[in-house]
Amino acid sequence: MGKIKIKIDYSICGDGNKIDPRDCTICLKVCDPAIFLLHQSIKYQKEDDPYDPKIWRVTPVYPSLCILCMKCVEQCPENAIKIRN
Amino acid sequence: MCDHCLKHGTAGKWYLNAKLYSEELAKELDLKEFMLEQYKTFEAMQVRNFGGFSAVGMGYKMQLPIISRIVKYTAEKMLHTEKPSRNPFKAEGHIGQVVPLDDAIAILETCVPEDSLIMKYCMCRYMHKGEKEACCINFGIMSEIIDKLPRFIPEPEDSKYRLTKEEAIEKFTEFNKKGYIGTIWYGAYPYINNLCACQTPMCAGFRPRTEFGIKSIFKAEYVVENNPNNCQGCKKCITMCQFGAIDFDEKAKRALIDQSKCYGCGNCLLACRFEALNLVARKEIPALAGNY
Ligand code: SF4
Ligand code: SF4
Ligand code: SF4
Ligand code: SF4
Ligand code: SF4
Repeated sequence: MGKIKIKIDYSICGDGNKIDPRDCTICLKVCDPAIFLLHQSIKYQKEDDPYDPKIWRVTPVYPSLCILCMKCVEQCPENAIKIRN
Repeated sequence: MCDHCLKHGTAGKWYLNAKLYSEELAKELDLKEFMLEQYKTFEAMQVRNFGGFSAVGMGYKMQLPIISRIVKYTAEKMLHTEKPSRNPFKAEGHIGQVVPLDDAIAILETCVPEDSLIMKYCMCRYMHKGEKEACCINFGIMSEIIDKLPRFIPEPEDSKYRLTKEEAIEKFTEFNKKGYIGTIWYGAYPYINNLCACQTPMCAGFRPRTEFGIKSIFKAEYVVENNPNNCQGCKKCITMCQFGAIDFDEKAKRALIDQSKCYGCGNCLLACRFEALNLVARKEIPALAGNY
């Protein structure tokens, strides 16, 4: 049984870089098994507003539930998602 | 009745005990700071590492027999703990149960403190689907906590933020009719503060159980039973069930219920126009005794 590896390029999307995933959320919306998680990227948090952290990223948190439909890869406007089986 | 209810319940149900909703309890446990800390970065809970484990890649960990036993043991121990919570970044003592409409109404009418009801955006739908849907009913100290966290507060066109009891009951009934599953949660054991309207696969409360066999949520005190004489075979109930507990019997042209899969949410009942379904106490069904 091969493991599915899903990689997001955080130099493009998330961690305060070009795209704030909260403004996009396309990968989250197209994924039927909802394997992604949109969350604060804790490591990169600046102290400015602890109540509403400003820096977020998307983590593929349940890759084993991925059905390889490739919708996220095809529809990510920044080509930031790669999947290897 | 599960062990938990025998120990904590009123009328055999832990969630019908008004004490567990009280301001005094929240004070006694000093939960305000704790929960504010937790909700500031709630969405990041699943990526935090505890004892060497996080939920990331959970499915693959669960395919390894020894690791899966350790993960299940560690996760259930954390979720089911009855010790006061110490670490706001862990889902300690965060366990819930499915509640059908009547019990949810009883909770709202008799247990929830007056004037503290709010409607917030559901965390699970946002963090797993990017959807902002106002369908999480909170109360008690949660209203003060969410006041400070604007990302959870619904835009006026999505929902009113503060609700009266009547409005909360009306909203919850609407959610059930849409097929959302009612669940009641300890925020941190044993303080109760959330009445949720959940959907799989997004709900982070159901997923560990439905996908990985970790008891992150208990099934309801009820289970559905059908009356085949009334069933017209319209299949409405089948599309309503999020757990695949209802099948169609092609020969008899009737709905066929697998009680071992039923979580007792009661949503199928609300969809049936022929009074062919009803809820019965789970503990009365010998084959299901103890299957919560
Ligand atoms: S390939 Fe399909 S199932 Fe897998 S992560 Fe992408 S959208 Fe989800
Ligand atoms: S679809 Fe691409 S750009 Fe949009 S949130 Fe997902 S990874 Fe980021
Ligand atoms: S438990 Fe249910 S309603 Fe509450 S946040 Fe999660 S999915 Fe939403
Ligand atoms: S909704 Fe009622 S009548 Fe229709 S199939 Fe289900 S049980 Fe039968
Ligand atoms: S069969 Fe059980 S789990 Fe499915 S909708 Fe009906 S009550 Fe809920």
